[in-house]
Amino acid sequence: MIQISNLQYGLGGKSILENINLEIPDGEFVAIIGPNGAGKSTLIKLLLGIWEMQQGSIQIDGINQQEWLKTNIFGYLPQHEEFDRSFPATALDIALMGLAGKLPLATRFKPQHKQAALTALEQTGVADLAIRLIGNLSGGEFQRVLLARAIVGGSRYIILDEPEASLDRPSVESFFALLKSLNEAGHTIITISHDLNVLSRYCSFLVCLNRTLHCHNHTELVSAEIIHNTFGDSVRIIEKDY
Amino acid sequence: MFEYSFMLNALFGALLSGLSLAIFAPYVTLRRISYMGEALSHIAFAGIAIAILLGLNLTFTTLVFVVLISLVIGWLSRKRKLHEANTISIFLSVSMALGIILISISKNYSFDLASYLFGNVLLITGVEIQSLLILNVLNLAFVLVFYKELFYLTYNEEMARVFRIRIAPVSHLFLVLLAANIVINLKSAGIILVTAQLILPAVIAFNFVHSLHRAIVTSAIVAILSATIGFALSYNLNLPTGATIVLFEALIYFLSLNFRGKQNA
Repeated sequence: MIQISNLQYGLGGKSILENINLEIPDGEFVAIIGPNGAGKSTLIKLLLGIWEMQQGSIQIDGINQQEWLKTNIFGYLPQHEEFDRSFPATALDIALMGLAGKLPLATRFKPQHKQAALTALEQTGVADLAIRLIGNLSGGEFQRVLLARAIVGGSRYIILDEPEASLDRPSVESFFALLKSLNEAGHTIITISHDLNVLSRYCSFLVCLNRTLHCHNHTELVSAEIIHNTFGDSVRIIEKDY
Repeated sequence: MFEYSFMLNALFGALLSGLSLAIFAPYVTLRRISYMGEALSHIAFAGIAIAILLGLNLTFTTLVFVVLISLVIGWLSRKRKLHEANTISIFLSVSMALGIILISISKNYSFDLASYLFGNVLLITGVEIQSLLILNVLNLAFVLVFYKELFYLTYNEEMARVFRIRIAPVSHLFLVLLAANIVINLKSAGIILVTAQLILPAVIAFNFVHSLHRAIVTSAIVAILSATIGFALSYNLNLPTGATIVLFEALIYFLSLNFRGKQNA
């Protein structure tokens, strides 16, 4: 379980997150929605420990985040993985990256690590691409390699920042179906998304964020009105059955 | 060609110098920090000037100075969230300006700016060959021991941190060793050759191979070949050694472009 209390964050005098109190139960498929500049990515980067917290606290499994991070990792899939397309890494190398932090400094991967990475690639449906160079993968294939990296370390939490951004329509559907199956296997999924249509079918818990929290609840309890309040007039809600 | 022992020394020096930089070159190229080679060798200029002014050991003083500045650059970029390339450019010009002023203060010393630019491998001493040998051993040990950390640090530093890969000590060590390589190579190779040797062998290698360990090996082979052939050419045609090596390496680079991308599978 993740508990965020009284979280505040600002940059250059501008407040980005205000008074965030949020509890994410285990095993949920959580979607964080909100307009551009709502602080969604900031919230995730604070949760992951990429950015330093200014105020408030985060507890994971009842332990302070910094302590928790010493012995655990989050499975994370960024919005844009910055890399050089000519970088000489294979899909397997990238999946292994999710295990590298578990090995002591200055040691090499062993056959069992490679096996684990291959299993993760198999779970995300790209095992046949294991020895392919990453520069030769399509956006959808690379996304699945990154998902394999996120799960290979055995983290119960998988955190994604707009995974649909680099995918075409059919790939989005199959990618979210894959996330759903991981969710059913016991992973807590936390994803930022703009695709309310897809979310309504897959996610079980909605966090509406626009600098402050507008809602955080099971999807069936969230009304179109709350979503409208989160986005303001910038978005029109198309009625859908939660 | 080798009737004089200094010629043998010079060839050894050219080989060891090229080899030491070639091992770093794939990382420097992939991290897109080839400007670091140029910047650190310019920053070394202020270190040289300080050593001359205060009458200190040239190599040691310059080494300490460059390592300190490179750590300050890394620290400033992280803490103040400045763009590393900008920080480096500022330090580069400040160091050059400082160097020029200090050299002009120590009037009684006639500083040979040309040898600083192009180096002179023919003047290399036994002690310098020894330090190049030690440097090569350190470089090799570094990339072998920290292969995994260096690989992911080079791939994407932020993601390496998210996945708790211990890159901080390796990243610092990388900077320190890079600085040491540049300073120790400066006398025999000069700024131009140091900069060239930190990028050309690697970009040539990546036109032939598509894995990091093969790139390091290929880069080393390219460096050995161009040092040997460039050296022989410069002797027979009576041309400056460092410049001939750079030109020969550039020739291999243009020829290697024909192989680019043919093995992408």
